[in-house]
Amino acid sequence: MSRLDAAMTEPDDPDEGFELVLDPKVQESIGRSLKAHYDDIVNAPVPDKFLVLLAQLEATEQRAAGVSRDESQ
Amino acid sequence: MSPSDIAPANQTEALARERRTEDFKDGLIREIPNLRAFAASLSGSMQLADDLVQDTLLKAWGNSDKFEPGTSLRAWLFTILRNTYYSLYRKRGREVQDSEGTYAERMATHGNQESHLDLADFRKALAKLPEEQREVLIMVGATGLSYEEAAEICGVAIGTIKSRVNRARTKLAELLSIGSVDDLGPGRTSAAAMQRVGSEPVGS
Repeated sequence: MSRLDAAMTEPDDPDEGFELVLDPKVQESIGRSLKAHYDDIVNAPVPDKFLVLLAQLEATEQRAAGVSRDESQ
Repeated sequence: MSPSDIAPANQTEALARERRTEDFKDGLIREIPNLRAFAASLSGSMQLADDLVQDTLLKAWGNSDKFEPGTSLRAWLFTILRNTYYSLYRKRGREVQDSEGTYAERMATHGNQESHLDLADFRKALAKLPEEQREVLIMVGATGLSYEEAAEICGVAIGTIKSRVNRARTKLAELLSIGSVDDLGPGRTSAAAMQRVGSEPVGS
C-alpha cells in the first residue's frame, strides 16, 4: 500500500468520525467567549516599545541603504 | 517594468525598496494587537506574550524577503510566533504560570464585556486545554484565520484541525459546565447537549 493510500484510508486522528459535537447553542456561547477573550487583548493599547523597535529597524535599514547608495555614486 | 530603463536606476530602486520597507512595517504594526492576543493565548502570560511578540517582530524583519506579498501576513507571522513559542518559550510559560498564576487571574480587562460567561472563568478554562487544542481553537474561533491557514501554520491536515477544534469545544463546555439546563434554557441536560454525529463536524 502506498503512502497516499494510507493517507486516504486512515483518519487524521484515531477518534475522528466518532466526535462528540456540541449543541449549536453551546458552540455559539463558547464562540462568543472566545472572541471576548481575544478581542479584549486585541483592543488593549499596544506598548510603545514595539513601535519604537520597528522605527529603529527601519532607520537602521535606511541608513544602510543610504550608505550603499552613496558608495555607488 | 524594468527599473533599468529609467534614468537614475539606483535611486528608483532605492525608493522602491524604501516603499516596500514602509509597507512591510505598516503591515507589522497592524498585526501587533493580533500577535499579542495569540501569544497571550499560547503562553498564558501577558509578559511572556510581549517578549514573544518582540522576538516575532525581529525575526519577521530579518526574514522579510521570505514573505510573499499577496499571501496572508497574519498567517506568516503566526507561524513565526508559534515556532518561536514552541522552541523557546513553552517551558518558561509553565514556570511563569506556576509561580504567578495565569494572566486569567491577574489581567485587567478592557472595554465592555458582554459575554454571559465570565471572562476570567473562561480564561482559566482555556488555559486548561491541551496546547494543541487551545492554539487551533484560538486561530479558527477568534483570529479570523481559515481552517486551511490553521492547518498550514500547524503543519497538520485540515481534518486534524477540525477534530482538535471539536475536542477543544467539548472540553471547554465540560470545564465551564455549560450545556446544563440553567445555562442554556429549558429542556436540555448536559448529556442531551451532546450529539453523536458522523465525521463531518458542525463548523462555525
